[in-house]
Amino acid sequence: MSLLWLRVAVFLYGIAALAVLPAALYDRPRWRHVAIPATIAAVLFHFVSLAEMLNAAHHSLPVDTHETQTLLGLILALAFLLVYWRYRTVSLGIFILPICFLLGLVPAFHPGQEATTFPLLHTRWIFLHVFLLLAAYAALLLSLLASLLYLVQERRLKQKSPTLTWLPPLETTDQIALKALLFGLPCMTAGLLIGSLIAQVTVGASYFRDPKILLAFAMWLAYIAMIFIRRHSGLRGRRAVYLSSFVFLVVLAVWAANQFSAVHRFTAP
Amino acid sequence: MTTTNNRPGSLVLLGINHNTAPIEVRERLAIPTERLADATRTLLHQPGVREGLILSTCNRVELLTLQEENTDADNSSIQTKNKTDLLRFLHEYFAVPPSDIQPHLYEFREREAVRHLFRVASSLDSMVVGEPQILGQVKEAYTIARDAGAVSTHLEALLQRTFTVAKKIRTETQIGSSSVSIASVAVDLARKIFGSLQGKTVLLVGAGKMSELAARHLIHQGASSILVANRTQSQAEKIAATFSSASVLTAVIPFEALYEQADRADIVITSTGAPQKIFDRSHGQHFLQRRRNRPMFFIDIAVPRDVDPRMNEVEGCFVYDIDDLQQVAAANLADRSREAEAAENIVSREVDKYQERLQSRDAVPAIKALQQQAEELRQAELARSQSKLADLTPQQREAVEALTRSLTAKLLHPQLTALRESVRPKDTK
Repeated sequence: MSLLWLRVAVFLYGIAALAVLPAALYDRPRWRHVAIPATIAAVLFHFVSLAEMLNAAHHSLPVDTHETQTLLGLILALAFLLVYWRYRTVSLGIFILPICFLLGLVPAFHPGQEATTFPLLHTRWIFLHVFLLLAAYAALLLSLLASLLYLVQERRLKQKSPTLTWLPPLETTDQIALKALLFGLPCMTAGLLIGSLIAQVTVGASYFRDPKILLAFAMWLAYIAMIFIRRHSGLRGRRAVYLSSFVFLVVLAVWAANQFSAVHRFTAP
Repeated sequence: MTTTNNRPGSLVLLGINHNTAPIEVRERLAIPTERLADATRTLLHQPGVREGLILSTCNRVELLTLQEENTDADNSSIQTKNKTDLLRFLHEYFAVPPSDIQPHLYEFREREAVRHLFRVASSLDSMVVGEPQILGQVKEAYTIARDAGAVSTHLEALLQRTFTVAKKIRTETQIGSSSVSIASVAVDLARKIFGSLQGKTVLLVGAGKMSELAARHLIHQGASSILVANRTQSQAEKIAATFSSASVLTAVIPFEALYEQADRADIVITSTGAPQKIFDRSHGQHFLQRRRNRPMFFIDIAVPRDVDPRMNEVEGCFVYDIDDLQQVAAANLADRSREAEAAENIVSREVDKYQERLQSRDAVPAIKALQQQAEELRQAELARSQSKLADLTPQQREAVEALTRSLTAKLLHPQLTALRESVRPKDTK
């Protein structure tokens, strides 16, 4: 059944992704009234699907890439709803909802077949570790998107071109970008801390010599440096986008490093 | 007073507006709000007027009336009489000779009157297309006319439909979404930068009507502090005093302290008569550094300009001079014209729908009469056959009842369909 719910969720994300275009670009409230309920319904189906998926697989965390993708999609959709609730803007949905759709599409039609018997996967702590890190990644992606929107709107204002009415005001996008980062920091810190404690108990000190783990800590430092710079110098616009992009690249590198890590793979060889 | 009359009346709209009459004529016919109820009652006492409404704004005076329909007389002579009666009302009420009004007068009837009303309420007939005040003015005229007993069934339905159409146009097009005056363009740009203007600080450098108007617009949108800098201290104090209120903090900045204190402001409006620039690029860099890169918006209304345009290159500084603002206003006006086309299409569709509904409603009495006559015939025939049907069981009686009802309905069906079709406008068939 979990696949069916996921397919329903993906279908609803697709509808929301299409409806958000006229809702944001042409400020059509009727389409906003389609996009938001469709996203809420998609999130509910997505949640049910994920819970059933994990329950059926008898493990507490998303193991394969597809399960992780689908959880990331769910968190991004929740982030979009949160931004809508707080700032009443659907503009970010133009980018976030298609990402949610694509992240759910592959798992919905080609579910992962990776098997695992790793005992760790049955603990709640490891679920928290994965969930918090994915939330931090989602926050960073949201921050990067908001910074890009800031840049576009700033350019339009500078060039005296007609402003894009669908873009939120500069101060709003700046707030979204900064608050997303501030939300992501505790998530990333707690996620890494929980992961480290579990690793210390189960694998020992050798875990911390793994390049993937070292890269993860480098990412955390870059994240903290970025927040420090943004808060203290009030960095906005082009330079903020460069900084967010750099940290985002580090995050992608950390994600990709899973494929080469000796100790951070829980799947059967 | 209005009387309940189900016979359809004749809708007549007579008026003058900014396109047909100069201000000298419009001002002679303008009715202040406090006299509108009295004028509406007087209009209602004109011969043949069943319902009426007067819309009086600075750009138009219009009389919307539902007139008695006289089926015996010649149509063109009725129309002439209606117009003469309304013209007499204008002449008598305002003491303006008909010859002064008549050349500027326009008249719409039935479908065209409905279309005109929809266009007026949707701001398609306004001097500045898309301005939002007109709908409120139509609503006010409606409330006054309703309270005066001048609006009942027919105009009530028409006006409710008018409000729905105007709202629909507001939500489905962007006719009123962009600003077309310099001051409102400045406010719009400020909102694009800062979002809400609540709590923002505005600095006025120099004095000028347009800069003060822009500042008032900003205050209206939530700006809470006004700083004033002027080479003449007393003049600065005078300007600051005009903005002072319970919700607005005002302060005067000595002109020599301008560069030390300007970074307190989020929005700077300059309109001095200085021959050289007051703010250059390095000032912008300095302000942004002190504000930790929080954006600043410079609205330069002065000619020659007060702000070096190169300040716009500083990240976080946005500089708009009078030409920039005018260009945005012109672009917005062009946008409104494009949206107006979409709005005109909505009006056309809505006029068709309204007319169709109105005409369907006109057919209802005839349909009801036909159905009643058929039912009476059916009952009479059943009564005549009563003796022959006496032996039937209740189930058989029920079957006969159902059979006769079904036969009657089937026989009536073509006639009722033809009747409904006959009142439908030809183009919708």
